[in-house]
Amino acid sequence: MTRELLINKWLDNALNPEEFKAFQQLEDYEDLVKLDQSIKRFKAPEYNADQALEKTLQHLHSLKTKEYNWLKPFMRIAAILVIAFGLYFYIAGLDTNYQTEVAQQIKTVLPDDSQITLNSASTLSFNKRSWHKNRLVNLEGEAFFKVSKGSKFNVVTSAGIVSVLGTEFNVKQRENYFEVYCFEGSVGVETIDDTQVLKPGESFQIIDGIIQKINNETTQLPSWLSKESSFDDVPVYLVFEELTRQYNVFINSDQIEKTLLFNGTFTHTNLELALKSITIPLNLTYKIDNKQITILRD
Amino acid sequence: MSKAINDNVCSESIYSAIFKRYSTDLHDFLYYKFGENFNPKDKVQEAFIKLWENCSKVTPDKAKSFLFTVANNLMLNEHAHQKVVLKYQAIKPKHYTNENPEFIMQGNEYMDTLQRAIESLSDAQRTAFLMNRIEGKKHKEIAEILNISTKAVEKRIYGALKILKEQVEGLK
Repeated sequence: MTRELLINKWLDNALNPEEFKAFQQLEDYEDLVKLDQSIKRFKAPEYNADQALEKTLQHLHSLKTKEYNWLKPFMRIAAILVIAFGLYFYIAGLDTNYQTEVAQQIKTVLPDDSQITLNSASTLSFNKRSWHKNRLVNLEGEAFFKVSKGSKFNVVTSAGIVSVLGTEFNVKQRENYFEVYCFEGSVGVETIDDTQVLKPGESFQIIDGIIQKINNETTQLPSWLSKESSFDDVPVYLVFEELTRQYNVFINSDQIEKTLLFNGTFTHTNLELALKSITIPLNLTYKIDNKQITILRD
Repeated sequence: MSKAINDNVCSESIYSAIFKRYSTDLHDFLYYKFGENFNPKDKVQEAFIKLWENCSKVTPDKAKSFLFTVANNLMLNEHAHQKVVLKYQAIKPKHYTNENPEFIMQGNEYMDTLQRAIESLSDAQRTAFLMNRIEGKKHKEIAEILNISTKAVEKRIYGALKILKEQVEGLK
C-alpha cells in the first residue's frame, strides 16, 4: 500500500487495524499526529443549533408583524368603503325634491305609488328612506294628490298639516291663501287654530286669514289639472298672483281694491284670453307692456 | 414525510428540521472558509431568513444548496478577498485528552506557523481539510456538503496536509 493511500485512508478515518500498523510505521508518523492534534485547536467556536433556531424563529415572528402590511391596502379599501357607504346613506337620507317653475307642471309618483301633480311655482319634498315608516310630504305651493290606500299620509305645509287615507285631494298653499279640496275619501286638515275633516266635494280655505269650509257639491278634479284655474269668491289680487304663476309675467294691480272678489276661471294656455276672463266680468281693463301688465279700472 | 406533501419549506416544523440538520455544517463551513472576522453565526441566520422568505419556491431537497449558496454569497459580498483569520485555542480541547494520552501541547512558534499555513491554503483546501480534521467529517459527507466528488475532496484534503506539513517542517 502506498504512503499516499495510507494517509488518505487515515484522513478519512478508514484505516483497518493492519493498515493502522503500517501507518504507524511511516517515518513521519509522529509529525503527522502532532500536526493533526495541533490543527484541532483551530476548531470553530461552538455553534448551538437549537439556540440559533430559536433566535431565528423569534426574528421571523417579529418580521411577520412588520410584513403584515397587506393590512395597509386593506385598510385603504375599508376606508373607501366606509366613505362610499357613508355617502350613500347620506344621499339616500336626503329628501327627494321636486320644484316647478312658473307655467310648469310636474307629475310624479311617490314610493307608495301615490300620484302627485305639482302645479306651477311649487316645491315638493319627501324622504324615500323613511317613507315606509312615515309617509310625509312637504309642500310649498299647490299640488293634487291621488293617494294609494295604506297608512297615514301627511302633507305638511306652512299653513297646516293635511292627513289622509287613500283619497284624492288638492292642496293649495300660497301667500295669504290656503285651500284643501277633497275629491274622494276623507281628508283631515289641521291648522294652528282649526281641525277639520273634509268629505268628497268639500273644501277648506284660509284666505286672508278668513277660515271657510265650503261644500261645493262637485267632485270634479281640480281645474288646473286641465290647464285652467278656478276661483270661488276669491280676492282678485290673489287671482292675479295665480296668473303670474301660470304665465311668466308681472302684474301691477295696485289700483284695484283688495276686497274685490273674483268668481270664475282662467286658462293657462292663452294670456290675453285669461286676462279677459278675469277683467271683463269685474269691469276692469289691462295694458300689456312687454311682460309688465297693469290692471286698470274701467 | 413524503415529498408530495412537502413541496416547500413553509411549514415551521419542516423549516426547523432543516435548520437543525444543516445550520451547524453551514456555520462550520463558513467559519473554515472565511475565518472568524465575518460573523458566520449571523450569516447562517441571514441565510435561513432568506430561506423562509423564499420558502414557497424551495423544496426541502433543494434547501441545503440554497442555504450554502446564499450564505456563501453573503460572505463573498463582505469578504472581498480579505485575509482569512483563524485563531487557535490557547488550551487544548478537553475531549482529545482522553483519546490521545500522548498529546503534547505545541509551542506558540509552532502554532503561529501552523496558523499562517492554514490561512495561506486556498479556500477550497482549507474548508475541506478543516471540516475533515476538526469536525471529523468523512470524505463522503464533505463531498455531499460541498456538492463535489469524493475524489475531489480527497485531493483537497491531501493537498492541504502536504502544504501544512511542509510549512511546519521548515521550522526545524
